[in-house]
Amino acid sequence: MTKRSSLAPNRPGPSKVARAWEILAVPVVVTLLSLLVGAVVILGSELIVTGRKFDPFLWFTAYAALVQGAFGGTDAIVSTLVYTTPLVFGGLAVAFGFKAGLFNIGAQGQFLVGALGAVIVGVALADAPAPIAIVAATMAGIIAGGLWGFIPGFLKAVSGAHEVVSTIMLNYVAVQLLAALVSGPLKVPKSPSPVTYDVGNAAYPIVIGGTGHIGIILAIVAAGFVWWLLFRTTWGFEIRSVGANPDAARYAGMRPKLLTIATMTFSGGLAGLAGTSVLLGVTHSMTSAFGTTVGFDSIAVALLARSNPIGVVAAALLFGSMRAGAGLMQINAGIPVELVDVLQATILLFLVASPVLRRVLRLRGVQAGIAETAATNALGTEPTD
Amino acid sequence: MRIRTRGFGVLAGFALIVSACSSSATAVPIATAAPTTAPTTAASTAPAATASAAPSSAATPAPSFAQMPNLKIGVVTDIGTLDDKGYNEFSFKGAQDGAIAIGVTDPVPSIVPKDASEYAADIQQFVSQKYDVIVTVGFNLTAATVSAAHANPKIRFVGVDQSPECITPAGANDAAFACKGVPATALPNYTSLYFAEDQAGYLAGIVAAYADKGAPTPTGVIGAIGGTTLCAPCVRYIQGYGLGAKSVNPAIVVKSAYVTHDFSNAAFNDPAGGKAFAQTFIQANKPDVLFQVAGKTGNGVIEAACAANIYGIGVDVDQWLSLGAPANACIITSAEKHVESAVAQAIESIAGGTLAAGDILFNAKNDGISAADFHDKASLFGPAVTTALQTALAAMQAGTLQTCPTTGCGVYAP
Amino acid sequence: MTDETGPTLAPALEMRGITKRYPGVIANDGISLQVRPGEIHALLGENGAGKTTLMNVLYGLATPDEGEILLDGQPVAISGPADAIARGINMVHQHFMLVPVLSVAENILLGDETMANRIFLDRREARRRIVELGRRFGFEIDPDAKVGSLSVGWQQRVEILKALYRKARILVLDEPTAVLTPQETEEIFGVLRRLAGEGHSIVFISHKLYEVLEIADRITVIRRGRVVGERLPSATDEDDLAELMVGREVQLTVDRGVSHPAGPVLQIRGLEARDDRGQAAVRGVDLEVRAGEIFGIAGVAGNGQDELVEAIVGLRRPSAGTVSLAGQDVTGRSPRKMNEAGVAYVPADRHRFGLILSFPLADNLVLTSYYRKPYARGIVRDPKAILRDATTTIERYDIRTPAATVRASTLSGGNQQKAVVAREFDRDLELLVLDQPTRGLDVGSIEFIHRQVIAKRDAGTAVLLVSAELDEVLEMSDRIGVMFGGRIVAVLDGRTADKNEVGLLMATGGAERVAALAATSA
Repeated sequence: MTKRSSLAPNRPGPSKVARAWEILAVPVVVTLLSLLVGAVVILGSELIVTGRKFDPFLWFTAYAALVQGAFGGTDAIVSTLVYTTPLVFGGLAVAFGFKAGLFNIGAQGQFLVGALGAVIVGVALADAPAPIAIVAATMAGIIAGGLWGFIPGFLKAVSGAHEVVSTIMLNYVAVQLLAALVSGPLKVPKSPSPVTYDVGNAAYPIVIGGTGHIGIILAIVAAGFVWWLLFRTTWGFEIRSVGANPDAARYAGMRPKLLTIATMTFSGGLAGLAGTSVLLGVTHSMTSAFGTTVGFDSIAVALLARSNPIGVVAAALLFGSMRAGAGLMQINAGIPVELVDVLQATILLFLVASPVLRRVLRLRGVQAGIAETAATNALGTEPTD
Repeated sequence: MRIRTRGFGVLAGFALIVSACSSSATAVPIATAAPTTAPTTAASTAPAATASAAPSSAATPAPSFAQMPNLKIGVVTDIGTLDDKGYNEFSFKGAQDGAIAIGVTDPVPSIVPKDASEYAADIQQFVSQKYDVIVTVGFNLTAATVSAAHANPKIRFVGVDQSPECITPAGANDAAFACKGVPATALPNYTSLYFAEDQAGYLAGIVAAYADKGAPTPTGVIGAIGGTTLCAPCVRYIQGYGLGAKSVNPAIVVKSAYVTHDFSNAAFNDPAGGKAFAQTFIQANKPDVLFQVAGKTGNGVIEAACAANIYGIGVDVDQWLSLGAPANACIITSAEKHVESAVAQAIESIAGGTLAAGDILFNAKNDGISAADFHDKASLFGPAVTTALQTALAAMQAGTLQTCPTTGCGVYAP
Repeated sequence: MTDETGPTLAPALEMRGITKRYPGVIANDGISLQVRPGEIHALLGENGAGKTTLMNVLYGLATPDEGEILLDGQPVAISGPADAIARGINMVHQHFMLVPVLSVAENILLGDETMANRIFLDRREARRRIVELGRRFGFEIDPDAKVGSLSVGWQQRVEILKALYRKARILVLDEPTAVLTPQETEEIFGVLRRLAGEGHSIVFISHKLYEVLEIADRITVIRRGRVVGERLPSATDEDDLAELMVGREVQLTVDRGVSHPAGPVLQIRGLEARDDRGQAAVRGVDLEVRAGEIFGIAGVAGNGQDELVEAIVGLRRPSAGTVSLAGQDVTGRSPRKMNEAGVAYVPADRHRFGLILSFPLADNLVLTSYYRKPYARGIVRDPKAILRDATTTIERYDIRTPAATVRASTLSGGNQQKAVVAREFDRDLELLVLDQPTRGLDVGSIEFIHRQVIAKRDAGTAVLLVSAELDEVLEMSDRIGVMFGGRIVAVLDGRTADKNEVGLLMATGGAERVAALAATSA
């Protein structure tokens, strides 16, 4: 008894522009709104913090520096791409889980363990021929991250342990594991502080600018691959089916438990690749301080992208550019890096409120029903068509 | 420089090196320090090359430093915040002080990394913006700073707590820690400032042992909480603290614990966690005094100590001043390392063209460390404490006092 | 019944020229409706005809583009459900809005606007009023019983009580009998008649013709958003109503013809299975379905039918007994293996089990065959082949949809079920298992699906039909098994089975069983 019943006359499909707006409206408006909130925060803190001359255009200075730091010149753009790369992998990892109805909060732990795998093999093969070292270290990172994803997947399939709980637990285990290994067996014996050897030949070659490593290209390939996997293979179809309606998938002869394990493992592998790309592409060795917020930012990326692999690239680029531009923003405007956190957090908040936004923007799909929106959009499992 | 000069107050009566209470006058002549080869284990037991190059400039109060108003100075701190009331904040202040001293009018910007993978990129921001001097704070930034210095020989790099310098003969970062390169020649544009935290801790330990009674605590328990076992300076502080306390009272029980064994947020950036950790520690060990060596996390430790009606000891800077009332209510002293003046002096020396490359140790010999003023707790202490501190400091300056275990100074041993 | 009171009084409710447009659809096109005090007014129409939209307008959930609503002759603007309730309009939804863990009294008090001014609930007073209200309309209800422990029929009574407690004058019931047994239906009709007798006006939404004829004082038929006729029960019959509703002549009862059963296809021996809570649900079923016959299973919902069906198609592992297909033991095989062995299955709840509503129709049509040629080569899917076959299937099964690429959720219920049927029927089958295949569908779709089932039977497929709609089982089945308490308590010949007899077996398990129970307890 939907309003759009079969009795409705065939409507012509909306124009391309309208379709693009349907898809882009929420992310774009959400981003703009959060920039607005950021500006208010800047002005507000100027008013509260005494001893600083009030500058009504500080927010503009800040955003200009943010943009310049992210896109002003080759170095800036390459820096943006370097920041974007792990977010693409991480975003794909989380989005992939969302598609199967799984909330992989453990991307952070898988990121760390992936990097750990990459550094162990990378250091061992530091003097091996570069292609062998690179491929082996990368594979090690994927496998290690995959293992870290396999565990919660397996636990869920076997005992029903919720992946949100088990992945959060494994995040802590990963942090401790990393600290123990880096200050123990992996530590350079003579080093006063806990740090591993350099990965040597396993380091990703620089292909763009001064810091642009091949991980950037790998990330784009990965996004395409994940898209293909989800939408062009039977396995992707099964995953999306389980995510959209596990009962129907089971009734149709699919095996949700097996798919849960496979999905978490694959998701973990992608998150592991995120850690690998940072380690082999940027740091080249691991200190016990190794660790980024990529795993958590990835959740925001996947939500903003509505779990679409191509959207993940765009969302990661947005977040990556903010990270890259934050340095110049601190230099030119003296705005602390926390503003970027404010922007990311408000983006998430507005996303949570996106059903309201869609209503305000008079987007179709509002009629699809609030229940559906609440159930699916919360996890970003946007229906596909 | 208000904080530092006040901090000196407690030592003024006996300190040998203090000639005047202005920042310029107390400038330690690090500029003339001969480059040293880095000590590999104990900071304080390292041959302090700085000692030999004693107060040439300090003797004649320099009216002003070489002025270089166009010098562009930037600071990259460690992960965390600029308001840690500890060494990130005061290293930054030191850079600002130095900038003012040499006539720079532009603000000194700082970048705070969000995570460890950003260090290199954040330093690169200043390189891209053509900065002349880049100060990096914390030993976690060592590799990134050395690499940047190697790649940008025309930019002057100053690292805080990044010793001992370990580079290849070509001046690159030495991941294998063979340390074959001679810093002064292989990497002449990089200077690492480091401190004898164990000496500062030793002085704090003396104060702790005397606390409450004005005389050595007969069978007391004192405690210390560090941020992470992986932070060598933290470990040195606590090692010195134990030795200092036992030098007063061999029977005293020194309990120590570390919040984490990694570099997660809990180590230095989690006051609430620090408070909870300290509460458990206090309940379990019942110390009379608690020494915090955990940055912002440690500020929560102080809060717990005050709440439990025991004494607290601050770290890195005079926290009685930096935390202010009412948070400082139970602070009896702080184990100070003078990061602010050290960084300021480094910048002043750069302007004068005299900053040497390599490691520069700040210890008792060059006013690099101290125990802070007792402030409103002075009445707790009798003259014996002051005497004990004076004696210890003199022995440190003479190089005769062992303030760190000969084996594994700065190395955590459970 | 109450015709004589009609013309002189202002209608309790009048809707005049209601028009409601949604993008691309006119859901209501100038609908007018008059409901008199004390009248049971049936609103009859196929799914998608606009009944629900009209009631949403009445309930303030949708704002009409044109038209007005009058209560007792006064025009009103209803701003939302709370406003509607305050004006004495109450709706009993098809899916009950009850909290299972709360008691009857608590459910009734829940969200009651009259409570808003009070701080404390006068529970004793509330309980007294609830019991009294129940008695007035002919049933004894325990206000402290947990709603979750009540049968569906009683839950519905709680919904009605809730409306009465809020002093409803106009009661809208949306498909109230869809979930009830014949006996329960009779009981609820009794309640409704009493309500009308006390002056309440009732709007009874349904697409079941015989029910409407039995209960309504007046019948308004709508089709495609327009009123196509108003009838008095005395002046019409099922065929007339069906034709109005569908817009063409409809054959209400499919002539199932004569079956020519061959050898047994499905053989079940001593089958036992547990439900999701681990309780024994199927307690030793022996069953045989032959090629070319329809075996119907009648029973009140919750007597083990679901578990039986799931055990047959591989979704539930039997705890004892065997299932064999064409002489081969297939006990405990996976759903996919069963599917590949020629077993098709139309699950009871198409939204939950049959379709993935957020997926395109084309994907839903290959939900059980997506991995096979020509829809996939290896693991790579072939969207072209999927779309091509979907287009022909849509035509062949008359699934009304703008395209194969629209989401399944945009289809009407009947067309959704046609999609499930198309997917499951469109190949050679050994066994066809149907669980409530026509629940909630309009007569047109029911007719279509029944024809397809009979065609399959005539092609030699063994058909197992489970339905809570006794009429459907009686109409369709060559043999009928009555399920009660996890057992098949009787097997009857479909041509000679009597509705009352089956109904009694469904409700009690039958005389033999009663006798057996008596014997064991003695």
